[in-house]
Amino acid sequence: MPSVKNWQLGRDMSYPYEARFPSRQFAFVFNINRCIACQSCTMACKSTWTFSKGQEHMWWANVETKPYGGYPRFWDVKILEQLEEANPDGQTWSGAPSDARDRPYGQYDGQTIFEAAHRTLSPDSARVLGYLPTDEEWNSPNIYEDNPVGPKGVRNRLSETGERLPVHNTWFFYLARICNHCSYPACLAACPRKAIYKRPEDGIVLLDQEQCRGYRKCVEACPYKKTMYRGNTRTSEKCIACYPRVEGKDPESGGDPMETRCMAACIGQVRMQGLVKIDEDGAWAEDRWNPLYYMVHVAKVALPLYPQFGTQPNGYYIPPRWVPRPYLRQMFGPGVDLALERSAAPDRELLAVLQLFRRSNRIIFRYEVKEGPKVYEGTLHGRPVVLYDDTVIAYGKDGKELFRTTVEEPIHIRPAIHANSI
Amino acid sequence: MPYDDPEADDPHVLVGVSLPGDASATREMAEAFSDEFAQMGFDRDRILRLFRTPFYAGAHAALQLLGEAEVGRIVDESLRVFGTQRHVVRSGGLR
Repeated sequence: MPSVKNWQLGRDMSYPYEARFPSRQFAFVFNINRCIACQSCTMACKSTWTFSKGQEHMWWANVETKPYGGYPRFWDVKILEQLEEANPDGQTWSGAPSDARDRPYGQYDGQTIFEAAHRTLSPDSARVLGYLPTDEEWNSPNIYEDNPVGPKGVRNRLSETGERLPVHNTWFFYLARICNHCSYPACLAACPRKAIYKRPEDGIVLLDQEQCRGYRKCVEACPYKKTMYRGNTRTSEKCIACYPRVEGKDPESGGDPMETRCMAACIGQVRMQGLVKIDEDGAWAEDRWNPLYYMVHVAKVALPLYPQFGTQPNGYYIPPRWVPRPYLRQMFGPGVDLALERSAAPDRELLAVLQLFRRSNRIIFRYEVKEGPKVYEGTLHGRPVVLYDDTVIAYGKDGKELFRTTVEEPIHIRPAIHANSI
Repeated sequence: MPYDDPEADDPHVLVGVSLPGDASATREMAEAFSDEFAQMGFDRDRILRLFRTPFYAGAHAALQLLGEAEVGRIVDESLRVFGTQRHVVRSGGLR
């Protein structure tokens, strides 16, 4: 099996194909601290792409309640358990997080889903460790996770007063997910028809419906369970990253690359999506003033989801501040402690970059901060905080200014009914 | 699970699993929501409405566990920092 470089793991790893990298890569950052599971992203995707017959169970974008929820149910627990069985007590990291772009989180010493499959599965055609979720596991996307079930034996009915029941004193958070458009996709690796491909221009992973014969090897292999089988067409389908929007072909875009539907619909301003430059070796090329590059490689507040799976996912998360560290370290790797330290007390530039989230539906390729005067100095939850009246300017693909955000003193707008009164 | 009782030998069904949780985790969650939405320009009323809406289970659970007074104090603390400014977004000439 060829050896490829996985910078998230800080080492080379086995993968069924030689490495091929796009010039730019579709990537995104979700700030989980803001997510309240309003499901606007979920419905934006559903109403755009998966509203047809046979797609009822498909939620390319979903928000699940962690730690006990998942779509499909137990997806992460199951694959983590399989990896543990393949390599007992060996799924560990060594070294320390550093500024090196080729090993920012140290080195992963355990086995990826490709390496574990190589050692434990047969026949040779089984290239990726995985499992096929049952129909029942697909049928409750975030239903019953926050709400108690309805009467026993009655389908499709929730308790009408369930939200008023006493709450449990425990921690939980909402994990918003779409396809990670991985650099080493497990779905692509597993497909015997070679129906899945990664676009050279933007790294979006697509599934060719003409080539697909519905073997469901991709559904079995994707550790994030983001390819889904459609019974009435006997083919599999997956998130297409709203590629017409990313290409700037949406009529509204005027030719500018636009963010996906799930990003644009996020009322919590959790999401930012971009197209990052990729080096020849597959690592992110230095692009200091790209907001995603800044959050992943400079501020290091955004971390990949389960990097140990080995697919080099391109979705990054600012971890929730209130969740126990061991859980977060398993989910986001060893970079968690630094990410939490920095995101809980954001510095001047990070505060500025956080103001870029959801101010426009155009993809931001570059930002600039024009420094202004200090407007506040004090403490917040026991930590020092300083605010500045900085102006953050976002630029699009061709260097055109998309928008600028400034800070102003509050003004009072008179209600309409008193508009002309003195 | 939604329709039937779990099978007794199903290792994936969580039965009686305790999770570490205390008032400090709940307070941190409330602080995170409060800080983030204050940064987004929400005023006191809008942030408290988010906590009071039972369908936003995370925020609402914090309100139930910590009480209205404590959540109000947390929101006031966030607004003391982030509520003194107003973010203004100016379009760069897009349609």
